[in-house]
Formats: sequence, structure tokens, C-alpha cells
Amino acid sequence: MIEKLKHILAHGLINLIRAGWGGIASIATIGVSFVIIGIFLLLVLHLNALVAEWKEQFQVSVFLDDRITPTQLEILGKRIQNEAAVKATTFTTKEEALANFRRELKGQESLLEGLGDNPLPASFQLKIREGYQSPDTLKRLSAFLSRLEGVEDVQYGQEWIERISNIVRIMKLLGIIIGSVLTLGSAMIVSNTIRLAVYARASEIEIMRLVGATKAYIRAPFLVEGMLQGSLGALLALGLLFAAYRFVALTFNLTSPLLPTAANRGFLESSMMASLVGGGAMIGALGSSIAVRRFLKM
Amino acid sequence: MGSKKEVYQGCLAMIQMFHVYKTFGKDLEALVDVDLHVHKGEFVFLAGSSGAGKSTLLRLTFRDELPTSGQILVNGRNIVRMKSRAVPPLRRTLGIVFQDFKLLRDRTVEENLTLVARVVGMPTLEGQRRVEQLLKLVGLSHKAKTPPYKLSGGEQQRVAIARALMNDPLILLADEPTGNLDAELAADVIRLLLEVNERGTTVLVATHDLKLAKEAGRRTVFLKQGRIVEEWS
Repeated sequence: MIEKLKHILAHGLINLIRAGWGGIASIATIGVSFVIIGIFLLLVLHLNALVAEWKEQFQVSVFLDDRITPTQLEILGKRIQNEAAVKATTFTTKEEALANFRRELKGQESLLEGLGDNPLPASFQLKIREGYQSPDTLKRLSAFLSRLEGVEDVQYGQEWIERISNIVRIMKLLGIIIGSVLTLGSAMIVSNTIRLAVYARASEIEIMRLVGATKAYIRAPFLVEGMLQGSLGALLALGLLFAAYRFVALTFNLTSPLLPTAANRGFLESSMMASLVGGGAMIGALGSSIAVRRFLKM
Repeated sequence: MGSKKEVYQGCLAMIQMFHVYKTFGKDLEALVDVDLHVHKGEFVFLAGSSGAGKSTLLRLTFRDELPTSGQILVNGRNIVRMKSRAVPPLRRTLGIVFQDFKLLRDRTVEENLTLVARVVGMPTLEGQRRVEQLLKLVGLSHKAKTPPYKLSGGEQQRVAIARALMNDPLILLADEPTGNLDAELAADVIRLLLEVNERGTTVLVATHDLKLAKEAGRRTVFLKQGRIVEEWS
């Protein structure tokens, strides 16, 4: 049993080495496909996280006039809270707004020097009930709120959050389509490499059949070879993606404190990397089993 | 699977063919109504010119092909109705030798033999012992580390026979084993096959060389255009 396993693994590896440029071409093709799939994956994941965060955080902000009186403030607070669409409100004073801003700019406080008076307005942050989160309702709500006394401006990001959500959806779909095409293409390339390997070993296979080797015994090394090509391709892609990710992150300073934390969610999680490598192995196995089925007449 | 009587007969008879027909394509009749019985421990020549159906008959015996109709029993088992899963175990009871030796060029003589040991899952040590024994039997112990293409045709065929014996087969099937050899080397190979037969292995040899069969003085079955036309014994 262990002997057999050793044979299968060793021959899978030997085959791969013997495949030479064919093997490298296979691995490179899978690598390129996975880089493209990985780019989509990273973009979708990051944008999704960003959208979720925005949805949670900024729903509607009501910025107040600096001249608002405490009585006006109290009435305004109550009116806002009485709105059916409003789930909760948070009040931020001018001082708190500045402190928050300072915190976000940590390390770059010098930017704030030269600001005379506190330019930031006090504000209410509204959380919106789920049923009211459509762009239409929010538009009506913000129009209503901006007419209230003491309100200087109302902002809501919902509309472009929706737009980004749509873009994410389209990208997901595009990613799935392009991914499937590339996956199929990669499987074909692996299949071709394995076909050559099968031809190269035709006489050995014939002899093995004649002396009573089982189908599985003959096929297994080819499957292993395909799986190695697939997983090595995926690993190569992960390496390239990681390098590119670091480069982009450093160049565009994605770790800047001004960006929402979602942008800092980092590279792919290890479980996802593992599934990519596993996916590569599966594509390799698929390609190789196509070749083995078609060209290994038994 | 057959009656008890058939199974009993199977123990005495190694190969039994009943009304075996093999047609390729629409009308190429390779074998026509062949009835052949080879007993355990027997040595049988299958003679006939090329195209007479000798190779087809051998291929049917190791189930490389299925007959168009008729039944074939090998060691008492009906191999026509056998599931493909059962074919590797069947082949492990057979040794097969070809005219063109079918040795792997990129391995040594020894490695050509150990391939069989590995395929059938023989423990490494046992495999090595068996390789030594068999190379001694065929007189090629000193060529163990040589690649086959550096050997003469006769030596290559002896390696191929040694390989066929790795499994300790019940039956040795040889398809024109002397086809590529001159008369002297051919006689050597036949002598070796007779020796193998004396050790208890049933041997079936296809040849177009009548003289060789005659000299060996063993049962000879003549095939002509796919039919058995004559027998000597």
C-alpha cells in the first residue's frame, strides 16, 4: 500500500519533471488564469466589505447650523427621532467632530494646524430602518430634514452605495463568467500536457496492462501530475497576486487612516488561499482525467 | 457461471474455447468456430501463416479482445462474461511474450523486471529475489544493469520471457517469440520455453515456423483463415 502510494506520488512528480516545457506552460496558464480570477475576487471582496461598512456607518448625516440654540436643538432631535424611518440617532458636537477627525488623522495632525476656529459642524447621525433604505425614501427624508430649522445640510451616501453595489454585482457576474472560461481553458491545457505524457509512456502503460496493473494504478500518477500542475499554478498566482497587492497597497497608500477600515482588510484569508490552491488541484485533476479517459485506452 | 462439471473440467483444462468466432468490422473473419482445449501443463504450438488468426486467438486468451460469439474459459473461469474489473487479476495469472519483446528502452534489464513486481504489489525484497532467480534461469544474470537495446535479439527475448515469468504464471502465451531471431537463437528460445513448461507452466506458442514446431515435437494446432484445420501431437 505504502509502496503503491510512493510509486504514484513519485511518478506523478517524475512525469511533471519529464513534461518539461509542457508542464511549465500548463502551470503558467493556470497561474495567469488564477491571477485574473484572484483580481476579481480581491476587488469583489474589498468592495463588498466597503459597501457593508458604509451601509452600516453613514446612512444619513444631518449637519447643523452653528447658530442653532439649545431649544431648537432639542426640538430638532425629537422631530428626527419621531420619523418612522429613523431607527436610532447619535449626536456629535462640534468638539467631538474635531476630536474624531483628529483621531482619524493620527500621525498627520499637522494637517490641522492653521485651522483657526473649529470648522466642523455638529451633526446627527441617523440609522435607517431596513424597510426604508431605498434611495427614494431616503431622498424624501433628506428633503424633509433639510427644511427643518437649524439644519444646514443633509447628506446620504445611499445612492452611490447602491451604485457601487450594482457594480460589485456586475463584477461578480463578470468574474464568474471569465473565471469559468479560464478554468475550462486551463483544464484543456492540462489535458493536453497529460495527453503528451500518456503518449510518452505508451509502451510502459501497455506493459503494465499486460502484466495485470489495475486501471487506478495506471491512471493515478497522471492524476497526480495534473493536480500538481493545477496547485502549483494556483500557488504561483497567489505569489504574484500578493506581490502586486503589496505594491498597490504601498504605492497608493491604502493603509491611510482616511480610508474606511474595509480597505485595510488585507490580502485573501488563508482559508480562501487554501481553496484557490485546492481549486487549482481540482482543475488539474479534471484536465488530466479528460486526457486519461480519452487517450488511455484500456 | 457454468455447471459444476464445467468448473471441474476447468481444473484439468487450462484454456477452453467453445465455438469461438471473431469478426473485425463487417466481414473480416479472424476466427471461425474455433474449439480448442489446452490442458494443464501442456505445451502447444499454434501454427499458421500470418493472418491465419494466431495472434487473435492469443489476444482473446488474455482478454485483449472479446470474441464475437462463443465462450472462453481460462483456468476454469469464463473470461468472456468476466467484468473488466476482473481482468487485471486474470492477467496476473498469465505471462505474455511478443515478437517485438516490448522491453522499455530507458530502463535496465533488472528494472524491466521489477516493473512487474511493483505493478502487482510484490514486496521489494521478494521482487529482487525473483529477478535474480529468473535472470539466472534465462542465463542473463551478468546483464542485469544493461539497457535492453545493448543486448542481442535472442537475449532481449530471454529478458522478455523472464519478465513474463515474474508473476509465476499458470499460462505462458508467446506470440511469434522467435519471429525476429535467426534459427539458432530461435531454437534457444524454444528450449527455454520447453524448460519453463517442464517446471509446470502451461505454454501456448504461436509461430509461423513449422520446422521449429516439428523439431520440438509437441502438440501443434494449425490455423488457416481463422479455422483449426489440422492437429499433430
